[in-house]
Amino acid sequence: MDILSVEKRLSLVRFRIHEKPHIVIDVSKCEECDYKVCVKACPAGLFSIDDEGRLHFNYEGCFECGTCRIVCPNEAISWEYPPGGFGVSLGFG
Amino acid sequence: MSGGEKFDVIVVGGGPSGISTGYFLAKKGFDVVVLERGEDIGTKNMFGGRIYSHVFDNYFPGWRSEAPIERWVEREKFTVLCKEDSISITFNKESSSEHSSFTAFLSKFLKWMANYAESSGALILPGVKVDRILFDENGGVIGVEAGGDRLESDYVVIGEGVNTVLLEAMGLKSRPSPDDVAVGVKEVIKLSRNVINQRFGLEDGEGIAEFLIGSPVNKFYGGGFLYTMDEYVTIGAVVKLRHIYDAELNIMDLAELLRTHKYIYGLLREGTLVEYSAHLVGENVSKLYSGKPYGDGYLIVGDAAGTLINTGFTIRGVDYAVESGRLASIAIEKSHSDGDRSEKHLSYYKRLLDASIIGRSVKKFSRVSSLLSNPRIHHQYVDLTCELFSQIYSVGEESPSLREAFNMAKRGRVGLLRMLLDLINVWRSL
Repeated sequence: MDILSVEKRLSLVRFRIHEKPHIVIDVSKCEECDYKVCVKACPAGLFSIDDEGRLHFNYEGCFECGTCRIVCPNEAISWEYPPGGFGVSLGFG
Repeated sequence: MSGGEKFDVIVVGGGPSGISTGYFLAKKGFDVVVLERGEDIGTKNMFGGRIYSHVFDNYFPGWRSEAPIERWVEREKFTVLCKEDSISITFNKESSSEHSSFTAFLSKFLKWMANYAESSGALILPGVKVDRILFDENGGVIGVEAGGDRLESDYVVIGEGVNTVLLEAMGLKSRPSPDDVAVGVKEVIKLSRNVINQRFGLEDGEGIAEFLIGSPVNKFYGGGFLYTMDEYVTIGAVVKLRHIYDAELNIMDLAELLRTHKYIYGLLREGTLVEYSAHLVGENVSKLYSGKPYGDGYLIVGDAAGTLINTGFTIRGVDYAVESGRLASIAIEKSHSDGDRSEKHLSYYKRLLDASIIGRSVKKFSRVSSLLSNPRIHHQYVDLTCELFSQIYSVGEESPSLREAFNMAKRGRVGLLRMLLDLINVWRSL
């Protein structure tokens, strides 16, 4: 049965991207992290680990749910809401 | 907006609790503004799909003919999802024509609520994010700062939702732990009204609310849901953040694994996915509610004050949030007429909350969250139930007796004493 990729599913949602990221990761705190639970936990799949084990993050496509900032055991994530009128814009909710 | 204008009350957040606060205060004659950071009302809000109607019946005259109600919930269904099979129990409410809950889309419902509040005189401004709450030198709230503008008011009511970023930044609340909150993921699938009626056995306007456990949500010890809308079906899952750490799956795949489970897939085939979204949900009811939802000149309402209650069978989110806004308006009215904005005076709000349906439910259902975290409920008992039904109904030459089927299903899964203790715990928690 057809599983739709998260990219395909995110393409259904309107995001008004602000040039300034509302989430900033201090990746120096991620080097020693065994969990990297953010990768598993983000419902939009915005965290990834490259071949050298480095963490990458893209704030575009963020639902602003806050899961990453709460699961991160190293307080590596500084998290704000995007400026008024920006970010995710749900039509159904 | 700038230039010295002062409001009686500024409400931060245009969700169910914030708009409710604005509505009830405007009705009492207060000059109130609701500031919403989304580009439009409802664009940042998400929920499963059901709203309980009592609070609207009591305080929103005419709402039943005006509000965007999708379907009235006439059937309550509980389904255990085995790896491929499924077992369902349906409660068909035929004995009473009373409508106590309905399905809705929160974004659309909030737009209606906002219009309703505006007709009563509330000012509702989307596209405005509050960056700071402003205090005077004595620690009393005097207004907010939003997008560089300073807005003054006698009171500030914070209804920013379960993800309490502003309150934490202002030192008014501590960050929730992974044990306190869950993440909900949801998909909206378009189907025709006739197809929904046929597949779910419904008439026009009648809806079903379904609670799901088992595969695949048991990988996170979570629960699933399904609601029928007029021409859509919503499905999704709720997972406590603590249970993500050791799981072998990614949350981003969960909604799709649920949608493609044989049972769900059959119900939704040829449907089109039109929206995927995610939001936090309060989980540890007693802890989230235990904070102090008031201070000098401010009150906290809705999910930010921990008013969402999971009873194990139903989740009371929107109706309790709206009720908290109503109680906040009562506390502010009294504080204003007594000319006392102090923390001590506004603690009246907490007493109103405790005595209300919200406070009483927090006490009653405080053990549900830990009960639902029992891994045996999600694995051993799901497997046992699936195996039991599979044994009973896989009839060859000789039908097994119920006892034989039960003993076969139980084998190697869980002992009788363990089951008895779990059963007692279920009884005491619900």
